[in-house]
Amino acid sequence: MPENNDRSSARARGLLGIPGRAAEMTLRPLTGMMGRAAAAGVEAERRAVDWVLDSAELERALNAAVDSVRIQSSLERAVDSDGVKRIVDRLFDSGVLEQVIDRLFETGLIDRVIARLFDDGVIDRFFDRLLASDALWHLIDEIAASPAVTAAISQQGLGFADQVGDEVRGRSRKADDWLERAARRLAHRPPRVVPPEPDPGV
Amino acid sequence: MSLVAVPSEPATPAVRYVGLATRAIAMVIDAAVINLVAIVAGIGASLILSVFHLPGPVKAALAGIGAAVYVLWTVGYFIVFWSTTGQTPGDRLMQFRVVTQDGARLGPRRALIRCVGSFLAALPLFAGFFLILFDDKRRGFQDRFAGTVVIEASQMSLAERRQAAKRAEYLAVREQQPGLPE
Repeated sequence: MPENNDRSSARARGLLGIPGRAAEMTLRPLTGMMGRAAAAGVEAERRAVDWVLDSAELERALNAAVDSVRIQSSLERAVDSDGVKRIVDRLFDSGVLEQVIDRLFETGLIDRVIARLFDDGVIDRFFDRLLASDALWHLIDEIAASPAVTAAISQQGLGFADQVGDEVRGRSRKADDWLERAARRLAHRPPRVVPPEPDPGV
Repeated sequence: MSLVAVPSEPATPAVRYVGLATRAIAMVIDAAVINLVAIVAGIGASLILSVFHLPGPVKAALAGIGAAVYVLWTVGYFIVFWSTTGQTPGDRLMQFRVVTQDGARLGPRRALIRCVGSFLAALPLFAGFFLILFDDKRRGFQDRFAGTVVIEASQMSLAERRQAAKRAEYLAVREQQPGLPE
């Protein structure tokens, strides 16, 4: 009995699929045409964007915009306005930035970027160029000669000397007591009467 | 306004007498300083004198003068330091001071007497110094001879003094500008 039921349901599915296949065959030229049109549109858009980016017009327009006194004054007004400050404050207060940063780390994007930077040798080239630059060594010289750094180094040196001195003094005081005890024991003399320590509260 | 305590010398220092080992180390340091200066000066003088061709008796006389200068330098070293600060450089490094029995600073005469006492203490195989081990105030022969004692003199190190000076400077700036953050 169950075998008869399966066979009849398969037959019913076959009959029901006929209209779908008929519609597909009828519309195939139309869908193909629409797909090609969409691909041609995307290609045209890409070419247009490339053309715009490659053209000198865009650069000229951007330079003109940057040099424009009106745009500059507008930007200055915008930056000075309380509205921008409020927006920036809200941006920081809302925690959106933290979310963005968390998301960047969670997705592993940062790891991938860092790995890519190392794999492509960008970091190596960066450090090669950095080490080859005179500006870096000039900066290091400036920092090394700065009063804050020299003071910190000399402070550290003095601190080390103090530490050594304290250690030597502590050991020599112990040696004083030890020598005294040994000498008195050898000479059968009583231990030294140590003067009482003053009250620390005084 | 909250002020941070600046480390300072103790108001009532405990009188603690210094023993033989510490004083011996200080003496080694002083001897190194004395001899280093003497060697450098001696080499300089020898180089200068080598330019001139001096007869034998003059050389002998100069050697005698050199020896006298060396003795004077050594005695002067101790007299000057004991009678001015109460500490030679070695004493300062080991943080102790030479004072009279009542805690006053030594005068030049007493410093000279102590110097002579040290020489006498060293004559019988340094036996005079070993008295330090048996005296309750840790006095050697030279101390008994000159009426002095050697006591602890804790002081701020150079690093601590610098830090204290910086702290004082910072506090002074803060007093002038009370609005500064802590």
